[in-house]
Amino acid sequence: MKNLLKARWMSSLIFLVVLFIITGIVDPSFFKYSSIIGCFNNATMYTLLAIGIAFVIMTGEIDVSIGATLGLTAAMTGLIAQQDGSVVTMIAVCIGVGALVGLVNGLGVALFGVPSLIFTLGTNGIIRGLIFLVSDGRTVENFNGTIGAYGNKVLFAEITLFYTIAIALVAIAHIVLTKTRKGKYFIAVGDNAGGANLVGINVKSTKLLAYVLCGMFAGLGGFVFASKYGQVMTVAGNGYEMTAIAACVLGGISLSGGLGNMIGAAIGAVIMASISRLLVFIGLPPTYDNTITGIMLIVIVVVDALAQRRSIEMSRRKRLLSRTATSATEGGLEA
Amino acid sequence: MKNALKKVFKHWELFLVIFLIVECAVFGIANPKFLRADKLMNSVVNYISVCIISLFVTLVMITGGIDIQAPSIIGLTSIIIGVLWSDAGVNIWVATLCAVIIAALCGLLSGFFIAYCGVQPMVVTLGGSFLYSGLALLVSGMSATPAYQGISGFPNKEGKVYTDFRFLGKGEIFGIPMQIVIYIVLILLCVWILHRTKYGERLYLIGVNQQAAEYSGINTRATIMSTYVLSAVSAALAGILLTANMNSAKYNHGASYTLAIITAVVLGGTLNTGGKGSILGTVLASLIICFLRYGLPICFNVDTQNLDLPVGIILVLVVLGREIAGQGMLSGLFKRRKKKASAA
Repeated sequence: MKNLLKARWMSSLIFLVVLFIITGIVDPSFFKYSSIIGCFNNATMYTLLAIGIAFVIMTGEIDVSIGATLGLTAAMTGLIAQQDGSVVTMIAVCIGVGALVGLVNGLGVALFGVPSLIFTLGTNGIIRGLIFLVSDGRTVENFNGTIGAYGNKVLFAEITLFYTIAIALVAIAHIVLTKTRKGKYFIAVGDNAGGANLVGINVKSTKLLAYVLCGMFAGLGGFVFASKYGQVMTVAGNGYEMTAIAACVLGGISLSGGLGNMIGAAIGAVIMASISRLLVFIGLPPTYDNTITGIMLIVIVVVDALAQRRSIEMSRRKRLLSRTATSATEGGLEA
Repeated sequence: MKNALKKVFKHWELFLVIFLIVECAVFGIANPKFLRADKLMNSVVNYISVCIISLFVTLVMITGGIDIQAPSIIGLTSIIIGVLWSDAGVNIWVATLCAVIIAALCGLLSGFFIAYCGVQPMVVTLGGSFLYSGLALLVSGMSATPAYQGISGFPNKEGKVYTDFRFLGKGEIFGIPMQIVIYIVLILLCVWILHRTKYGERLYLIGVNQQAAEYSGINTRATIMSTYVLSAVSAALAGILLTANMNSAKYNHGASYTLAIITAVVLGGTLNTGGKGSILGTVLASLIICFLRYGLPICFNVDTQNLDLPVGIILVLVVLGREIAGQGMLSGLFKRRKKKASAA
């Protein structure tokens, strides 16, 4: 089992490397430290969203409201920035609002048992409406203070501050999920909720926690959005939920839950964020962006599904063979 | 009282009918203009894509699948018609037919991966939505018209009467807009398919238990694949109507409808795990959303750009109410608490 998990995120890493190498062969100028690191820095927002939603997907649920949550927290960050608020306030508000949204989602899904897709669709609409109310239907812009400066702040070796934080969060989430008792509950619940319940895991509170974490990460994403773009439209973050889900799928996280890990999600996010950048180097116009993403996503999941089915069939055949072999020898003994 | 509530929530269509009547009454009292037939029909015409596609996505969801690629097929159909007609000089009806066939192929491709390769429907159609919207953008690049402008000037009208292609979008039969006539025909067709044919029964059985359906001799894979083809064709139809109505072929028509379609289907009582749902429910839910979107701005001065909020609130309240009333959640909660109290 552990080997399988390892293979799953390793294959997405290999895929990313192959993508980079192909781009490099077409245009050798891509093989520069700054362009490759640029791809990673560019993925900050998707990385945050992907690890957030990965918690939820691992428990076997889904959350399509994170794009709206990102938009809402970005708009709030912008409004605070307009009034010269401090960065600490902004981050606190972002995480707080995100956690609140996650709490509502979690209560609806875990406690009341509403199917997660339906419930988060509803909250998605509500949050989109709240963005509109908060921003008065206008684009939030003209930020005061230093928030814009954080977006491009480089910490070391051309890696931005935000991406460093995102990577640190990925590492923490990975360690929590694989090494701690509570962290292992997420996978256990997604793999078999009934079984998890029987061994004494509180399924409902685990799911609730997953949604709260997801909301908090989306909130952080909103802060990054505001400081990166310097303006927040009312449709900010529209469709980001789909990109984050796609990133998780590319990273080998199964949408039916119970399978996958955080490093995969982070790599998937880099792949999703890099496509448009790589296309520029390959020489295709950005209009090919969605087509390539779609083909890549479908090919990867289909190949993955076929490989999985093949391995299941192989192991079944092996089992059958060994069974017939033993029964044959038994029969021989009886004779 | 509680039992009555339970019954209403059990007969979901009944609840939706009551909701629709109350909604019309409230809006009608707030602003009598709301009840004008032509305005009501116009509100449905404005939302016709969601209404039509949600009918066929209901079929998909009854088998336990989900289709989030349909909106991207609206744009793809629209731009294919535009490019074939204006840049390649093909007859408009031939172009329309080509677009429908291509849409069906798109549905077939996704359906094949879902049914025969066993990939999760959500993932494949997510990939499909990227792929087909990307293709639409590429097709629009072949046109001499800039992508953002949209191809216009379709076969128009003679005198004051809309004819030819645009009749589909703007024409009227006995005072009823052509689009509504088509919608009604599609509703009847769907009701017949789902509730009167063997095919419909198979859909339900597959949704309840695919393995059992397979063992009882149903070709489950082909059946599942066919539902995706149907929903793709319905999206193509929506694309044609939208193009004819707006006199503009654009690659991003309908791009924002993904969540609206799913909302209409699940509000109509279709389970997203499959095996339960009805066309009537979907139709009622679509009408409820249509009238909300039309009534709130004119009766209660809600900003037309901020209609997601009320629709979202209603969706959340309704599904919460259904869970609470339908499963006896409240009594269950109290029971458990009592047990805990006695244990302590």
